[in-house]
Amino acid sequence: MGDDLTGGFTMIQEEKRIDALTRGECFRRAFFALWLVALLVVGSAGATSAAPKRVATAKPGNCMACHGSQKVLPQGHEDTKAMTFEACKECHTKTGAPRLEGIMPGSHLHQLSGVTCVKCHGKTKKVKAVEMKQCATCHNPDKLAERTEKVKPENPHTSPHYGTELDCNVCHHQHAKSENFCSQCHKFDFVVP
Amino acid sequence: MKDESEEKKGLTRRDFLKSTGGAAAVAGIAIGGLAVGTKEAAAAAGPMPKKWDETYDVVVIGSGFAGLAAAIEAKNAGVKDVVVLDKMQVYGGNSVINGGDFCAPGTKLQKENGVEDSPELMLKDMLRNGQYLNHPELAKTVAYNAKDAIEWTESYLGARYTKLNYQGGHSVKRANGTISSSGSELTSKELAKAKELGVKVELRTKLVKFVSNKDGRIVGVEVRKGYKFPDESTGKTAFIKARKAVVLGSGGFSQDIKLRQIEDPRLTDKFGSTNHPGATGEALLAACTAGAMDVQMDWIQLGPWTSPDEKGFGDVPLFCEPLVGYGLMINPETGKRFFKETGNRKERADAIILVGHPVIIMGDSYAVNKQVVPHRLKAAMENGAIKKFDTLEDVAKSYNMPVDTFLKEVARWNSFVEKKQDDDFGCMIFKDAKPTVAGPFYVARLWPKVHHTMGGLVIDKNAQVMGFDLKPVKGLYAAGEVTGGVHGGVRLGGDAMADCIVFGRIAGKNAAGEKAWG
Repeated sequence: MGDDLTGGFTMIQEEKRIDALTRGECFRRAFFALWLVALLVVGSAGATSAAPKRVATAKPGNCMACHGSQKVLPQGHEDTKAMTFEACKECHTKTGAPRLEGIMPGSHLHQLSGVTCVKCHGKTKKVKAVEMKQCATCHNPDKLAERTEKVKPENPHTSPHYGTELDCNVCHHQHAKSENFCSQCHKFDFVVP
Repeated sequence: MKDESEEKKGLTRRDFLKSTGGAAAVAGIAIGGLAVGTKEAAAAAGPMPKKWDETYDVVVIGSGFAGLAAAIEAKNAGVKDVVVLDKMQVYGGNSVINGGDFCAPGTKLQKENGVEDSPELMLKDMLRNGQYLNHPELAKTVAYNAKDAIEWTESYLGARYTKLNYQGGHSVKRANGTISSSGSELTSKELAKAKELGVKVELRTKLVKFVSNKDGRIVGVEVRKGYKFPDESTGKTAFIKARKAVVLGSGGFSQDIKLRQIEDPRLTDKFGSTNHPGATGEALLAACTAGAMDVQMDWIQLGPWTSPDEKGFGDVPLFCEPLVGYGLMINPETGKRFFKETGNRKERADAIILVGHPVIIMGDSYAVNKQVVPHRLKAAMENGAIKKFDTLEDVAKSYNMPVDTFLKEVARWNSFVEKKQDDDFGCMIFKDAKPTVAGPFYVARLWPKVHHTMGGLVIDKNAQVMGFDLKPVKGLYAAGEVTGGVHGGVRLGGDAMADCIVFGRIAGKNAAGEKAWG
């Protein structure tokens, strides 16, 4: 799902929620989902879809280029069209507005910092998931582990299980909400950007 | 690079229907309460595909101890193309969260520690604890090849073992502990060697079905590539041809609530597991569907030393195990002891399940300071799984125990400790044990977690999988926890690594020796 580029994103979210539902509700939801999908097929493919477009050529601060009319910023937020990550950080400081890491998908932080789609995925017609060695060209795993040495209760970037070789994308998704992979067995309350 | 909006236009009506079908399938699983993944196994072994997407000589399923050992040995036996497939997004399965104890008789560490041991004695221990349900030929293969196997991991792979540990049920110290107290010391060295030899390792590739030819010979597998556990709607179907053989090293099914409840109905979702989340049984069932026979599937081991107050294996086992024979285990409902603290895994887990709710293990400051590794104690106290109390009365109150009964029970236990004999349950009381009197007192709750599935596929001593016709399933080998019969009723601590490396190597060599079918 992390690198799902097929536009099936909302469907997958829907399926995940089904786990928690009752039997009747499940059926209703399933039918509703079917109906919704049918509607989308009939309508102009994906025009009203909640899943944002991925416009590689968009300016990073131009939310509308991908998200269309969907409101993604809080009411009254300053116009971001011309902003870079540096500009965001003028307000999003330690004591000011909330940290953007963990709120926005990693790809947005990358974009705003000048790391565009092409810089990781390359110039290609067929977009493929990025391998860890690509991340490592900027984020050296050993250096990362050193930097987070004092994080409590454990250093998130090294472990007895995988050393520093655990795939970044196990936690740091770029096109979906990041997750705390360690938490499937451990009680480590990491905030994962 | 194209914008995604352009690609979207290319989506056909068929694609949409496909994704909708996936949603319905997932909904079906949720309604039926089925464990993820068991559904596919219901379909029979697949027919030959029109076209194979990839071709290898040997295809290994699973990237833990056994699978990687098989891949390395297949390669070293002269096979050209070997691939290891794993459905998870990380390699190593349970092996990377394993505690790193490798049981083998007559090792260097044993000699350094003055421990006399022999393959005969290890075999005897395996059979006695396994309640003589072990397939003797398989247990013997492990016991008699374990020393060679551990030496291979040291001299050929570079794995390091630095301490000799004791594991319950063995008659001597024979658990050779890795330098990091983790199985990852071995898996990381195996992976490095496999890659150096040119073995391909493909993650997020899930086995769906075995493919057989008309004679029932296994000729390849149907997989889903790009699968994201546990989302069954992910991944793209591909057919992978195995010219010589498939080796199954896919592990056990401790996390497969549906399957384990079929085998042992007590093991509902009330029981957690020490295993990684991918330890589900669909690969095993797919093998059965393709004709492989299963054995002793209802012998499922629970760890009696785990806590309901922390996730996974946790820290409490390393508090509980060193304390038995020094401290006491109490049923909080009655305020009394209920079982022999030094009983084996199975006896104790069964006793706790019979009690029906979590029990407690406790030790006083003498026992805990003497027996428990400080950083483990600290970790478990921080996560709340171990609690500290100044007085025994406080312990009683905190767990809603009848105070007088509890105090009397502790006094009774103390009298047994004084004379080094437990009249009530026959607990082994160690020479240096002292009465439980010195505060503070440390307490943890215990509730068993599913730890190991002894049952699995029937193999012979060549790791060749056997079928329901009691003949070999041609082209299919298996090793490690996916197999059954090696450990009988109880798998002893430290014997999993030995089993996986011994049979993984055998499976790899023999897979390489198969005559290519096409």
